[in-house]
Amino acid sequence: MLTELLQGADAGGFVIIQDSIRCSGRHLLKSFINAALHREEAVHVLGFEVDEEELKDGVKGSAIDRVHFHNAYTDPLGWTDHPAFTVHQFCLEELTHLVKQSSHSRPATLVIDSLSWILRHRSPTAVCKTLHQLRKGGAVRAIIALLHADMHQKGTEGSVCHLATSVITIAPGMNGDQAVAKITKRSKSGKVMQDEEIFNINEDFTVIVQSKLGPKNTPTEEKEVDPTANLTFNLRLSDTERKAKEKLALPFVFSKEKKTALLHSGPGSGRILYEPDSNDDYDQEDPDDDLDV
Amino acid sequence: MFTELNSILNASPDTITQGEFILISDRKSDASFLIHHFLTFYLKARCRVCFLGLVQSFNHYHAVSQRLGVSLLQAKEKGQLVFLEGLSESLSVLSPRETNTGSHLGRGGEAMDFLRDPAIGLKSLYEFVRSSLSSSDGAEEWGPPVLLVDDLSVLLSLGVSVGAVLDFSHYCRVTVCSQLKGNVAMLARCDGEEEEDDGDDEGSERLLKGLTHQCSLTLHVQGLPTGYCRDIHGQVEVCWRRRRQCEGKYTQKKLFQYKVHDKGASFFAPGTSSAVL
Repeated sequence: MLTELLQGADAGGFVIIQDSIRCSGRHLLKSFINAALHREEAVHVLGFEVDEEELKDGVKGSAIDRVHFHNAYTDPLGWTDHPAFTVHQFCLEELTHLVKQSSHSRPATLVIDSLSWILRHRSPTAVCKTLHQLRKGGAVRAIIALLHADMHQKGTEGSVCHLATSVITIAPGMNGDQAVAKITKRSKSGKVMQDEEIFNINEDFTVIVQSKLGPKNTPTEEKEVDPTANLTFNLRLSDTERKAKEKLALPFVFSKEKKTALLHSGPGSGRILYEPDSNDDYDQEDPDDDLDV
Repeated sequence: MFTELNSILNASPDTITQGEFILISDRKSDASFLIHHFLTFYLKARCRVCFLGLVQSFNHYHAVSQRLGVSLLQAKEKGQLVFLEGLSESLSVLSPRETNTGSHLGRGGEAMDFLRDPAIGLKSLYEFVRSSLSSSDGAEEWGPPVLLVDDLSVLLSLGVSVGAVLDFSHYCRVTVCSQLKGNVAMLARCDGEEEEDDGDDEGSERLLKGLTHQCSLTLHVQGLPTGYCRDIHGQVEVCWRRRRQCEGKYTQKKLFQYKVHDKGASFFAPGTSSAVL
């Protein structure tokens, strides 16, 4: 599913890459940028957290002209006199203006690095409203945002992820090169698909999916191990042996024939005559009397 | 400076990497010995250092640095070191009659403005840092600028919000690392256990997470998980993040144990302490 998301088939999509301090999602974000550039799209990056040089590190060739880096890194709060882009400019009008200015006819992809920065300074409702308007507005074809899941309360994170069409949560993998991506994708029909994949990213930011772990809710089927295999002696039964085994009457299981044989003594066996005397407690209402033994 | 730590970090006073944001953190332990390392290291590397010493007096740092072979007084006189002594500057904020003799730029009092009203944030502290490191008098003889902060968590106790401290560290990173191509090293401390599900909005845990996202190198100091030991004072986890050449490794981590001596600290791989071997 990760490769499909990278190929970016659907327009109006909003992908959120959730990372944590244990595993950074910025490499995957760069992979998305590279994939969008391969599709000849214009990429607008709202860079709050890293500078232009670091973000463009790895983008080669002529594609670099199609990356429009809007510098929100140098002065996001307007502490100097000439801020390039501040966090307060994150609203529909400003962003539409920004995108329309630079890309002319190509579909534009908006990349936000990172949404956590914006959520720290604007209210979650305002951010969600702007994101929703951007998606419906048509100025950008797709939005890809990086979110640091461990920096926000669950409610904030949940509200923002609810807006997304796909959420990719990244965790560190078994060895240092690999990472695990848990993907939740919401299609237009309302169907939700989940997947878990192990991937690693090459130097040129192409993603290789190593294996799919599959969604966790299907029970893992394990092959039953045959205990009678690979032994030096034979534990298996042939058909005649099985029939003889089933015919065998077990010693302490009472069938009807055996019961009547025991209870009604045959000819020649002894009889027991019992006369209760005064010391015996012969209770007419003996609760054990109705036992059929 | 600690020579073993230099080899671990692949750094030496002659060749220093630029543009690094180093986060020194500790949990129920004391990582201030690493601040002394970086202070003496960068002074020996002939860098221009701005040191925000918010928790101890100048004499304390001076005494420790002398044992490590560097004189802070001389560095200050030569103009290599700009020292903001938070403790004495805060007095001048709280009682304006005192004359402000702390910082040679005469702006130390303004830098601690947040003490009057923590809600205004740390913009004036950032302005102090920016003006100390980007002033061009005598800048030619010194190397890249370095900012050291000891420590950020005390700002939280003084009423500054986590968001304001993260903004301050962001702006310091922009100015010192990206624009001036220098380095930043900050200390942040944590008291409690690490909580997986952090529901609270404010607090040193959130600050630590935010700083970890911003930095390129973390040194996390903790006590030994097995308890107190006389010969090993704790463990340091060194974690490199955001490296330029993407070799496919997301982060690289190394764990060391350390022991602090009178004139330094020694670092060794776990289990190889000289007391044990």
